[in-house]
Amino acid sequence: MNKSEMKYMKKEFYFSKVIRAEIFFTPFLIAIPLIVGLFFILDWYTRGFLEGNTAFYGELILGIIIIVGNITFDIPFVKSLRVLSKKK
Amino acid sequence: MVKVAERLRDTKIKINSLDFDAHWYRRAFHAFGASFLIYYILPDVDWINILKFWIPLFIVVLVIILELLRLTGKISSDHFFGLRMYEKNRVGSYIFFAIAILILLRFFPQQIAIPCILCATLGDPIIGEIRKRFSMNYVYLFGFLVCIFFFMIAWFRSDALLFGLASIAGGFGAIIGETKKFWWLDDDFMIQMIPAFLLLIIWISIPYLGLGYPGEIIYPGTIPW
Repeated sequence: MNKSEMKYMKKEFYFSKVIRAEIFFTPFLIAIPLIVGLFFILDWYTRGFLEGNTAFYGELILGIIIIVGNITFDIPFVKSLRVLSKKK
Repeated sequence: MVKVAERLRDTKIKINSLDFDAHWYRRAFHAFGASFLIYYILPDVDWINILKFWIPLFIVVLVIILELLRLTGKISSDHFFGLRMYEKNRVGSYIFFAIAILILLRFFPQQIAIPCILCATLGDPIIGEIRKRFSMNYVYLFGFLVCIFFFMIAWFRSDALLFGLASIAGGFGAIIGETKKFWWLDDDFMIQMIPAFLLLIIWISIPYLGLGYPGEIIYPGTIPW
């Protein structure tokens, strides 16, 4: 695929809409993975750590990966939002 | 009353005047996909199993219908933020992404599905950023290392031979799936399905190699009430 095909489609702003779909989804996009990651860590803590069961280490690692992975991409995403809205 | 209506209208305009960087929106959307791993921790109870069967299927069917409506022009592409130019007249990547996750959740053991999903949700955006900043050689090297890491986590409780074999095969499959791009088949599908099939071959061979299956990584929860 060439570079022009990899560009993002331009879109018009619709101020008249109730709320644009991407804005509506943004809180879920950020919050849900963090909740899921914390849920994995909580499950490791209650069923693994407190009961001394090492089988739950996988859940701990996955929880950390989900949280760290998402925060890594959420920070520049939220930052880009702020910069662009300032420009406007 | 009029003032409240005016305020609501102003707030709506303010919210809708916010702008996103499509590039980072797409990255965040990818990473969000890791949330689907909650599927495995949901309790193994009849009514929850019914929901586990129907909800992912419902989501995929819904997005396919929306995509069909977009491609036939019944819904404007303006409603779909972050699409690339090549997706204008083609099925969007998110459909491939969703279908691959559904296939993995439904038909593959979690030891195969979890690392493959992580490759698409976290590995793919990391590789994308490496590609943007460095040369392709770095993409192959670091992409392979990132993906291999996910397979190591999933197979860390298996025999050493199996652990090494699965990690290398998975990492290799994922990087092939990510770097080979076709117009008609998206890398979001390939990065999940190529390593999944390679690992499925290993999975089927396990008894013939005289080895034991690796343990699960996520255990279904229990209902506290």
